[in-house]
Amino acid sequence: MTARLFGAVWGLALTAALVWSPLALRDRLPDPLATHWAERADGYASLTAYAVTTALAWTVIWVVLLAVHLHGRALERSAGRAVWWASLVGAGVLMVGISLTTLYANLDQVVWNAAELPGWLALAAVVAALGAGAAAGLLGKGAKDPVPPAGERPPALRLRKGQRAVWVSRAGSGAVLAASFLGALTVLGMAVLAYLGILPGAPWAVLVAVGTLGLLAGLFSSAVTVRVTEGGVALAFGPFGWPVRRIDLSKIEKAWSEERRPSEVGGWGFRGVPGAAVIMMRAGECLVLRYHTGGRLLVSVDDAASGAALVNALVERKAA
Amino acid sequence: MLITLDLNDAHPLHEQVAGAIRRAIGDGSYGQGDRLPPARDLAEALGINVNTVLRALRELRDEGLLEFRRGRGVSVASRADGHALLVQRTRELLEEARRYGYRRDDLIKILEALP
Repeated sequence: MTARLFGAVWGLALTAALVWSPLALRDRLPDPLATHWAERADGYASLTAYAVTTALAWTVIWVVLLAVHLHGRALERSAGRAVWWASLVGAGVLMVGISLTTLYANLDQVVWNAAELPGWLALAAVVAALGAGAAAGLLGKGAKDPVPPAGERPPALRLRKGQRAVWVSRAGSGAVLAASFLGALTVLGMAVLAYLGILPGAPWAVLVAVGTLGLLAGLFSSAVTVRVTEGGVALAFGPFGWPVRRIDLSKIEKAWSEERRPSEVGGWGFRGVPGAAVIMMRAGECLVLRYHTGGRLLVSVDDAASGAALVNALVERKAA
Repeated sequence: MLITLDLNDAHPLHEQVAGAIRRAIGDGSYGQGDRLPPARDLAEALGINVNTVLRALRELRDEGLLEFRRGRGVSVASRADGHALLVQRTRELLEEARRYGYRRDDLIKILEALP
């Protein structure tokens, strides 16, 4: 059975169950019924509203997951498939679990605020959802991803005497930029609230500093321009091309291009330890430089194969 | 974007830059809709005047290879592909033919004689 067919049947079945179960038990339930508990029941909704809300909440999750399956490339990879299956089954079991425990607590009560929800029952619903999600993830992750060929050979490039060759390319990440703007906006908003005394006790000056630093860090890690010339390799960060990091050609042993994803190198932005640095903006083509010291630098950038070819040609010419 | 200039070449620099960009589009390094690096960056790396690079970019825009868009910079036009490579190769072929003393008409005759 294909994932899509299972997803469709599963989603429809759960939607039907979520609508049908409260309606089928209508004679034994109070109306309105208790829908939220703190220490005792403290929230309620009419039976119809309850059935519609739970079904709607599930439908939204389900439609989003189906859309991901139809349009996204998230399921091409094993980790993506595992997360998709775990979300589909786990969220479904959680919704049904919440609904069933709610109905159970309300069963044969006359008024909503007499309903009692045993703590273990709520816990059981969560544990069941986690277990089902984990199992679905394990079953659904499928075949392992093919290992990307390490050190793909760049096309050979011959530089003639009197030729000047340069390579300029860039990679940017709108997602990193948007996330840092959103994060900074939230923190700065909190700072304003703290300054006005609406958020008492919050140190507004610290919040301003954190927000500004976050914004700057996001700006600088949202784009990178790589330039290869006779003078070496230069990495310029951020939308304004500053700061710049220069690497001398004499330090470089060789270069190549690789296909890499953020999930393979530990996420977006600057990562790694000395000797294995990564500058990851987006999934796809990356330029890899290996130093004579044995260390390497990976930077995601468009048209990396041409860049690697030029680095190798320049290193060769310098050595000759 | 890989750009090679030949300092001994008699051709003007803007033609050489245009040729290098045509080649990058033709060999698939840059596909339809891909954004080119800013002209300022290219000029700085090449050590030439930014106006020379801009002139090359404008030529390619007039050929229909590039699109200029406000705020999006310069990108490869949506209908540019193998045509760019063919034009570039033919141009180089024509130059080589001239070096051997053949004219455009001779080259056309050679092409027509081919199966």
